[in-house]
Amino acid sequence: MAKSNRLLKDVLWILALWGLVAGGFRLWFGLGATTNLTDAVPWGLWKILNMIAGVALSTSGFTVGFLVYVLRRKRFLPLMRMAILVAFLGYGCSCLALLFDIGLPHRFWHPFVMWNEHSFLFEVFWCVILYFTVTTIEVVPTILERTRAERIGKFLHGIAFGVVVFGISLSSLHHSSLGSLFLVTPERLHELWYSELLPVFFILSAMGGGMMVLVLLRILVARWYDPEPIFGATPAPVEGAESTVPGFPTLNRNVRGAGREMPMLANLATISAFILGGYFVLKVVDLVRTGAWQFLAGHGWPGPLYAVELLGGVLLPVVLVACRPVRRSPLGLGVAAFCAAAGLALNRLNVGIFGYWPGAETTYVPSLAEWSVGLGVIAAAGLAFLVVVENFAILERKNQPVGAGVFRAAFDAFSHVYRNALNSGLHRVSLIAVIMLPLAWVAMHPSYRDVTGGGRPVQPSQGVDVARAVLRIDGDRTGLSVDFNHADHQRRLGGDQACVTCHHLAVPGDKTTPCSRCHRDMVDPTGIFDHRHHLTAVAAKAGGHGALAGNGTCTECHQEGAARSAVLVKDCRSCHEKDGWPALAGADPTVDLAVATSFQTAMHAVCVECHKNEAVRVAKPGLGDCGACHADLRRREDSLFAVVAPSRD
Amino acid sequence: MEQAITLARGPLFALAFGIMVLGLARLVLLQVYELAVGKGRRLQNAPWRKIMGETITWALPFKHFIKGTLLFSSASFAMHIGLILVPLFLADHVAMWERQFGVNLPSMGRGMADVLTLLTLFCLLVLLGFRFLSWRHRAVSTPTDYWLLVALIVPFASGFLATHPGLNPFRWEVVMLVHLLSANLLLVLVPFTKLAHVVLFAFDRISEIHWQLRPGAGDRVANALFGSEAKV
Repeated sequence: MAKSNRLLKDVLWILALWGLVAGGFRLWFGLGATTNLTDAVPWGLWKILNMIAGVALSTSGFTVGFLVYVLRRKRFLPLMRMAILVAFLGYGCSCLALLFDIGLPHRFWHPFVMWNEHSFLFEVFWCVILYFTVTTIEVVPTILERTRAERIGKFLHGIAFGVVVFGISLSSLHHSSLGSLFLVTPERLHELWYSELLPVFFILSAMGGGMMVLVLLRILVARWYDPEPIFGATPAPVEGAESTVPGFPTLNRNVRGAGREMPMLANLATISAFILGGYFVLKVVDLVRTGAWQFLAGHGWPGPLYAVELLGGVLLPVVLVACRPVRRSPLGLGVAAFCAAAGLALNRLNVGIFGYWPGAETTYVPSLAEWSVGLGVIAAAGLAFLVVVENFAILERKNQPVGAGVFRAAFDAFSHVYRNALNSGLHRVSLIAVIMLPLAWVAMHPSYRDVTGGGRPVQPSQGVDVARAVLRIDGDRTGLSVDFNHADHQRRLGGDQACVTCHHLAVPGDKTTPCSRCHRDMVDPTGIFDHRHHLTAVAAKAGGHGALAGNGTCTECHQEGAARSAVLVKDCRSCHEKDGWPALAGADPTVDLAVATSFQTAMHAVCVECHKNEAVRVAKPGLGDCGACHADLRRREDSLFAVVAPSRD
Repeated sequence: MEQAITLARGPLFALAFGIMVLGLARLVLLQVYELAVGKGRRLQNAPWRKIMGETITWALPFKHFIKGTLLFSSASFAMHIGLILVPLFLADHVAMWERQFGVNLPSMGRGMADVLTLLTLFCLLVLLGFRFLSWRHRAVSTPTDYWLLVALIVPFASGFLATHPGLNPFRWEVVMLVHLLSANLLLVLVPFTKLAHVVLFAFDRISEIHWQLRPGAGDRVANALFGSEAKV
């Protein structure tokens, strides 16, 4: 296992496992419960990030295939397998995300038999499915090379040329079709991005950016596994220098030969830069032609986003690649490639999300589950990429995976060190799974959403008998109820005079306000002061009139000239004298009359204290226990061993 | 406070329980995998009947009753009874299992739960006392051995106080929150500490070293090495 990308692998596993849970929830609970997609915003993160941007980023299969097989540029042949792998994973990733995105995933096959030839999406569907099949056919020989089914691989390899040409035609079709999709929405897409040339822009940027993705990945793979072809030969030991680590010679890090694959990568980047340069010029000309340039300085963030996309994501990489020293250094080329790839992704997000939804007059923020599935699918593709790179020959040397040569010293058949290496990977990943799966479960399961934020509204108590002498108190209707004998308590505590022992407040004008009227949530405190009602009521009383009569009455309660806060307000009881209960005599009006505690707290506070005292007074310890009121628990406590029937309906 | 309690008994409990179940499953799978890959063929000749028999008999206290460990072993065994039964079958916990997972377990009476809880707490204190006071035990104890016992005592003690408002000098909400949080922490600790023996004890005997161990083997080895006056 390579240590240099171990952290990256850990992060990818975390994202993939988290996405796995999110994907499961999406399939189980449906789109409405897990995503922020609505009828106004039906195209969200998955379609734009995974499908449209993902497909664009994995264009390298078709562009490098075109260079190698059609233009006969054989120097790019070493990159062919990786290009195809990127295309395969990119398209697989898109198809997987799309499967989560369509309303009924099990009907994904409908376009095969139910043709709608008027739809751009129908064309896109066929192209993506066919191209995914094509890339599969192209990838399989690499995998089969190391198995016994090599003959099938050889056959597939034999038909590769035809398959590649078929794939190229499909690619040139659907990349422009994806752009054409947005042609039908001129009212929605922001003027900066909307243009009749969108299909052309889409295919040009995808071709240029896709090649840069391949350049970036080749450099990263070299960095992780086998630096020599890109970063040059390992530096030679310094003659006569003293070694800092015994057994390891000091290396001369200043002298490094150039990697033998660097000229090829620089060449590919140059081709890409030419395409991107043409794309840039075309974009600018179009901007001037349509007059959309005036929106660049317009209100909001479309202008800056457009500028970052075009300057940072197109012009900057072109300039960087044009610089000879930058083009020749792996780091410089890597930065240029990263800029181009990020710019391409930003362009698709701009067209699909940032430049699109302001026109819909709505805001769309993808939900946690959407982010999780979107990023999780990409992370899974990343892991699959690393697995293939480590175990199969996708670079130039045939039959030799990059992982094999690097760590051979660690794989000792006698000491069984290899088993530890294998196990440590297994231990690590399974440990990540143990932590992440429950965490993702709790974070995204709909049943926990209420507890952590939404609140649980309280239902009023029910009357067990006609006279409501016995009340069934079950605020959130979960079955853990209390049958409260109201009449009996009233009798014991002293008849009509005893109400105030428990009840402390009623709504003005009401004599028997139930607890649930103010204590409205099971777990959260509730604000009970109705400011709007006070405005109109005070205005009516003070003889105000007009549409905003209440505005003149602020000083009825708030002090003249002082800040109009809840603290600097006159005592509620000065008006509500007749509504206040004696129990409230020492209450702080700004707290006790403005906020009601949660229903659970209120009920427990009013019953438990009294019961605890009574338990001591009459020497009945059971009176203070939970089961004294919660009959549901009492039944379980009564017998030593009893199978209790479920309390749910 | 009320919100914190709801959070601790809802999502946090589910999280802790999920981590425990998956963590233990991971340990079992890794153990089986390592046995299959690492021992492989050699396991075919293992004395399976003997291994099974020993796993069961060593889980019972009788073999442990040898000179000098009688009190420690009985306390250890008695502690396990309450440790397993009360979290599962206390009436309030039965309600929790039902709410969380929809399973319906039989429940034990409050009186029996109290007896078992007090017995467990007493035994835990005895075990902790041994660790502190007997230098024979202290010699083989690591820091984990001490704080794991404390981590076991806290949820049981706070749970007992929460169900007995008359004996509880603190606010009920505080005690309940301490009970819930410490119990959740304990669940998370299970797969990552030696508490993992809840599943791994089944694998203890599948090892050539264990087959050689007899009760009192340590003493006999020490005796042979250092003479009869050796103390550890």
